[in-house]
Amino acid sequence: MDIFSNLLLGASTAFMPMNLFYGFIGCLLGTAIGVLPGLGPTATIAMLLPITFGLPPESALIMLAGIFYGAQYGGSTTAILINLPGESSSVVTAIDGYQMARNGRAGAALATAALGSFFAGSVATILLAVAAPPLAAVALNFGPAEYFSLMVLGLVASVALASGSLLKAFAMIVFGLILGTVGTDVESGTPRYVFDIPELYDGLNFVAVSMGIFGICEILRNLEGEHERSVGVKRVTGLMLTKEDLKRIIAPVLRGTALGSFLGVLPGGGAMLASFASYAMEKRISPNSAEFGKGAIEGVAAPESANNAGAQTSFIPMLTLGIPGNPVMALMVGAMIIQGITPGPNVISDEPALFWGMIVSMWSGNLMLVILNLPLIGLWVRMLTVPYHLLFPAIIGFCCIGAYSINNSVFDVFVMAGFSVIGFALSKMRFEPAPLLLGFILGPMLEENLRRAMLISQGDPSIFVRSPLSLSLLVFAVVVLALVLSPSISRKREEAFTE
Amino acid sequence: MLKIRNGRDFVGGVTMICVGLLFIWFGRELEVGNSFQMGPGYFPTMLSLLLMAIGALIIVQSLILHAGEGEPETWNWKAYILVILGPVGFGLLLSGLGLAPTMLLLVVGMATASRYANWRHSILLGLFLSVCSVLLFTKLLSLPVSALGPWIPFIGELF
Repeated sequence: MDIFSNLLLGASTAFMPMNLFYGFIGCLLGTAIGVLPGLGPTATIAMLLPITFGLPPESALIMLAGIFYGAQYGGSTTAILINLPGESSSVVTAIDGYQMARNGRAGAALATAALGSFFAGSVATILLAVAAPPLAAVALNFGPAEYFSLMVLGLVASVALASGSLLKAFAMIVFGLILGTVGTDVESGTPRYVFDIPELYDGLNFVAVSMGIFGICEILRNLEGEHERSVGVKRVTGLMLTKEDLKRIIAPVLRGTALGSFLGVLPGGGAMLASFASYAMEKRISPNSAEFGKGAIEGVAAPESANNAGAQTSFIPMLTLGIPGNPVMALMVGAMIIQGITPGPNVISDEPALFWGMIVSMWSGNLMLVILNLPLIGLWVRMLTVPYHLLFPAIIGFCCIGAYSINNSVFDVFVMAGFSVIGFALSKMRFEPAPLLLGFILGPMLEENLRRAMLISQGDPSIFVRSPLSLSLLVFAVVVLALVLSPSISRKREEAFTE
Repeated sequence: MLKIRNGRDFVGGVTMICVGLLFIWFGRELEVGNSFQMGPGYFPTMLSLLLMAIGALIIVQSLILHAGEGEPETWNWKAYILVILGPVGFGLLLSGLGLAPTMLLLVVGMATASRYANWRHSILLGLFLSVCSVLLFTKLLSLPVSALGPWIPFIGELF
């Protein structure tokens, strides 16, 4: 079997002491920062990206992946213990998880989240290993027209599945695409929108941009409604699940994993959608549905498995097609580019050690999280009680040094400050920053493929509909759009997001 | 009579149109070319036009649809100004003062944006973070910033 030799290759990379070490550090840092209130995975990764620049590519990506699922996990911990979800994907976990904690069952809730996540992560990793090579093989035959259509589909779908106004999300994508054109035009060498600033010739740095619109901007919003939190966290006891608990969580974990794995692959999907959908589904079909909202263990098991499965499978389009489906994956794409790797179908064949190493490291990372987090829960609880007024100056300080360290220039610090203003102004007008980042990352690729395709067709736009593959991708994009715009679905969508 | 029913969206739509205009204006020297031979200006110009169209649609929507009941906006201007000027100050002072004093100033300055901060805690936190950042970034990761910059004579030369 081919897959076994591949996984073996991956294991030899992932289990190298150095990579295990960085994976471990990533999980630890990710959890520690994810536990801190008001910092989601996107901000966490943006903040910690600069420290991975000096590492070899495998270690850097393994560490970033570790940070990602660590942050994810840390977010659920705060959701359960203090009803403060660290990120959107654990919002639903807070509903029943916090009730369980109030009933003195915090330990059981945390254990359920950990075990469910681990199981889902393992399944999703296997799925990733099986599905990625054939998908990449298909993508290898893509020409510029197909790539262009694929990216259009990705962008359209990411809007469709996001919350909030569609028009505004489209505006953000287009704004992001325009921002992506800042810098030297690759084909003609003409500088665009650089205003004679030498630092801008390479374009706006995406780390500085994302630290501004996610990191600093989140702080601004948190300071608005600042109030002293009296965090009354009791000691967490009773991590062991009873036999009855186990019996109750098996089916929800399985269903959550299946749903989450599927939704994670969709562009714009990922962890958040997965957790919402699986909670809603579980509430409907569970035999204990009356208990939901009052501390049902199923209400923790299902969304936690689903969000972890979704987080894992959202790597599939990123690793095989080079198309990020959500902001976290956009950051991963950016990190790969910084490491000199072009994300796309070639990664599997050109960098097999990196690709399979990352996949195996996802599994080992999930295992580390279970081993690490349950015993360390006391430490995380203590971190929870760090007051925000001590936290945010430290975060800003770290972002400043991080931005500086990108190119050892203060220019990127100014870019970060500028984008915190832009991001904040946009959020005041209720524009979501996530599509902006996706557009920004995809912009240069989209333009390059558009220009190549049009050059091949000698300016005839019908090239996008003449290739059957490209046509079906575009048709799919239109269908997605039509579905979202149709009144009945949009009402459902609203319901799903308000629930 | 047309009435603005959703002020926030109206402003949002106008902003998008302004952004589009801005990019078209600053890109006016870029050669647009045609769809066969796209110049460097083609893609940004088309996108700017698209953004303006979306902005117009948002405005139209804001004239038709009422704003939903949202939470009342809270504003905290002191925090905004401090948090945004903080990194700018950091960038301006870093080369002159060096990492340690800049970090201390930044952290203490930032902390005043919060209602709950007190001086003792902020200064302690600032000292702690400047020592940590010097150890981590100057010594361990060897970023090209010195702990104390040329604006601090005598002591600066010792490091």
